[in-house]
Amino acid sequence: MTVALWVVPALPLAGFLLCILLGRRLGKGFVSAIGVGSVGLATVAAWTRLVPYLAGSGAPEVERIAPWIDAGNFSVDISLRLDPLSGLMISFVTFVGFLIHVYSIGYMKHDETDAGYARYFAYMNLFMFSMLTLVLANNFVLLFVGWEGVGLCSYLLIGYYFEKDFAAAAGKKAFVVNRIGDFGFLLGMFGLFSLFGTLDFDGVFSAAASDPARFGPGLTVVCLLLFVGATGKSAQVPLHVWLPDAMAGPTPVSALIHAATMVTAGVYMVTRCNVLFRLAPEAMLVVAVVGGVTAIFAAVIAIAQTDIKRVLAYSTVSQLGYMFLACGVGAYVAGMFHVLTHAAFKACLFLGSGAVIHALGGEQDVRRMGGLARRLPVTYRTFLVAALALAGIPPLAGFFSKDAILTGVFAAHRPILFALGLFTAGLTAFYMFRLVSLTFAGEFRGTPGEAHHVHEAPPAMTLPLVVLAFLSAIGGFLGLPEVFGERANRIGAFLAPVLPPLVIPGREAADHHLPASTEWLLMGVSVAVAVAGLLLAWKWYAKERGRPAERFKARFPGLHALVADKFRIDELYDRLFVRPFAWLARVLWKVVDVLLIDGVLNAGAFVVELTGDALRFLQTGNVRNYALTFLLGVVALVLFVLGGM
Amino acid sequence: MIAGGIPLGDVLLASGALFVIGLVGALLRRNAITIFLSIELMMNGANLAVLGYAAALNSVEGQVVVFFVIAIAAAEAAVGLAIFVALFRHTETIDVNRINLLKW
Amino acid sequence: MTATRLVFDAAAALAILFACVMVVHRNPVKSVLALVVSFFALAVAYVLLAAPLIAAIQVIVYAGAILVLFLFVLMLLNVPEEGRQGSSRPIHQVLSGAAILVFGAALLALLRSHGATRAEPAAFSAAGPSDVATTSRLLFSEHLLSFEALSVLLLAALVGAFALARREDQA
Repeated sequence: MTVALWVVPALPLAGFLLCILLGRRLGKGFVSAIGVGSVGLATVAAWTRLVPYLAGSGAPEVERIAPWIDAGNFSVDISLRLDPLSGLMISFVTFVGFLIHVYSIGYMKHDETDAGYARYFAYMNLFMFSMLTLVLANNFVLLFVGWEGVGLCSYLLIGYYFEKDFAAAAGKKAFVVNRIGDFGFLLGMFGLFSLFGTLDFDGVFSAAASDPARFGPGLTVVCLLLFVGATGKSAQVPLHVWLPDAMAGPTPVSALIHAATMVTAGVYMVTRCNVLFRLAPEAMLVVAVVGGVTAIFAAVIAIAQTDIKRVLAYSTVSQLGYMFLACGVGAYVAGMFHVLTHAAFKACLFLGSGAVIHALGGEQDVRRMGGLARRLPVTYRTFLVAALALAGIPPLAGFFSKDAILTGVFAAHRPILFALGLFTAGLTAFYMFRLVSLTFAGEFRGTPGEAHHVHEAPPAMTLPLVVLAFLSAIGGFLGLPEVFGERANRIGAFLAPVLPPLVIPGREAADHHLPASTEWLLMGVSVAVAVAGLLLAWKWYAKERGRPAERFKARFPGLHALVADKFRIDELYDRLFVRPFAWLARVLWKVVDVLLIDGVLNAGAFVVELTGDALRFLQTGNVRNYALTFLLGVVALVLFVLGGM
Repeated sequence: MIAGGIPLGDVLLASGALFVIGLVGALLRRNAITIFLSIELMMNGANLAVLGYAAALNSVEGQVVVFFVIAIAAAEAAVGLAIFVALFRHTETIDVNRINLLKW
Repeated sequence: MTATRLVFDAAAALAILFACVMVVHRNPVKSVLALVVSFFALAVAYVLLAAPLIAAIQVIVYAGAILVLFLFVLMLLNVPEEGRQGSSRPIHQVLSGAAILVFGAALLALLRSHGATRAEPAAFSAAGPSDVATTSRLLFSEHLLSFEALSVLLLAALVGAFALARREDQA
């Protein structure tokens, strides 16, 4: 029995409707069952559909659900597409989403009212629906619907604790910055339509591939515009500012939306459009540079952060930079592989941090943590595994995906970017183990009250942690480098149909094949760098209780302040954009709206009043005046008639 | 146009004269009753004109019209005078110049 | 100049004369009486215009009922003679005079252009087709609806006049 594709997003949609309409009345048990069950069923449906597909040839399977827009020469249907790329996406989006929903039951149960609990799961389900629509769409317009939907849900969920000003503001910031990216994406879609006359994936990509020389510079512009959208959605520099603030939302939200799924939508989109990007090398270069710069920029900031979730947020931005770096040099498989592994270990890290915060009754500052390894064994061990994976220590998943990226960059002959990526790998290991040490090693630095309160999380929370840690450990074997054998790179083989061979005008096919010795060398170098970063962090923060860091801070106070303050980008944007807009809005209000528009209306009323005041003197109350007026009118009429004759 | 020997012009002249005289009275007298009387005079002038034309065009319809006009004038006079009576009770005057309650 | 015409002119002149008296006289009762005479003269004119029914009605209804009603009201209200001074404000007089003059001139012009016109009708006699029987037949056949409506109107006027003129302190 083949499961229809539309069932997969429809199940969370049904969950959303049920939770939002009935959730408040039917209580937490109902909401838990429906909210988590819908995603669980969607996971089952997705995998049921996927397993037979995996054995097949990789040809895309398109399901046309309904006609949608048909206006002149523009026509778009609601149709879904299952091909290796979308299949890969739904495989982990549903499963990781399911795990996080299960985790949420434990995390959200105590603090929330029935209404709040229902609202949370309703929005989470709506998010799953939007994300699945985004990934399964067969044309740009439906993709954009999902794109906007996830942005909306991000806003709703970041602002979940909307009574807190900071959370509400963070939600707005996320939405507005996303919107800026979406504007670029929209312009890109307009460009696509004007170039190709259609917004259907098959239509656009086959037209581009069959006649590459024809579309030339227009294609570069379009790709750049689409990438602007990806920059917004996936928090790359300069539109990265919303992601750290988004940590104001509940931790499972951060795990799902801002680590595993929504932020990867940009990478997915770029990979989906790889045909277009590969035909526009300048655009690809921009993508790679932005990715590389973002990676190192965010990693540097992460070193100086003191909030456990913020470290992870900047880490996400940095890792997303890696993914775009990979796409930008043509290593799309490596990029998607990293998406997959990152989903596993970053979700695990976020959920783990949630367990820590939950254990400490809400504390998020690592300076007040420490020594939790003994008290929170499951959390510690899963967190450690995930951190090792993120740092790129073999044989965990992160090593293989990150190595694939670095190898790809090197093979594409981009030495500067390679150096950036390598250095950032070291930084990554450093800040991750700084975090691990400060949180779990040493002595507890919090209040005695918190010390009493510390307890391991309930099974609803620890079970997903274990599953995700396990996946972080073994996931790497999906994409072993070529040195291990011809068919070692399973994920590469799987994704091959989505990356057709292209003839790029003006360039011969670049040879990106590296000899085996170079590959081993690169692997060794990246391991060495990662281990170095790890050991340095361990020494500084675990062994010597952070004293070397303090000395560093004392010697370079300005530098430290700048980095800790995220290079004051937010302040810059405030001065450059926010204040002028606020001024403009005020002017439009006080001058245009009040003075001009209201003024014109009031003036009209005033004129009428004035006329009325003048005309009332006609009402003398004297009948004879009225009679005279009659007569004058009659005379006028008679003269008029007489004149006419 | 001759009607039984009477030129239409004569009839119309007489009718016009009556009408204008009534107009003068309506505009230049102060007594409300007199004004009303002048209006009745104007109506009679009009009746005369209608009958003149009816005779000239050899039509009986004109007489029917005048019949109705006279009847309506009767109704109007009754109601109008009733209003005057009621008004007089309130204002103790019949001078139109002084009845100006609807003044702005 | 036929006899009919002569009589008509005389009657018309009389009517106009007494109309002027009515307009000019200060005493309202005398005005009403002058108008009565004017209406009688008009009735004569109507007869000469081959409208005997209307002439009769003019005397019975107009002169005999409406003007008598006027007299009743005059007596009831004990209306005094109109004072001489301040008959009306000068501007009003000037404007009214001017308007009336213009109107009169226009009327004359209208008469001149329209009074002497085209078709020659057949001369008819007073006992011709426009006698009482014919008129009445017409009233009760073609114009029956209007006739009945008229009676309803008179009823309404009756009730209305009663309601308006009633003293308010009575129930």
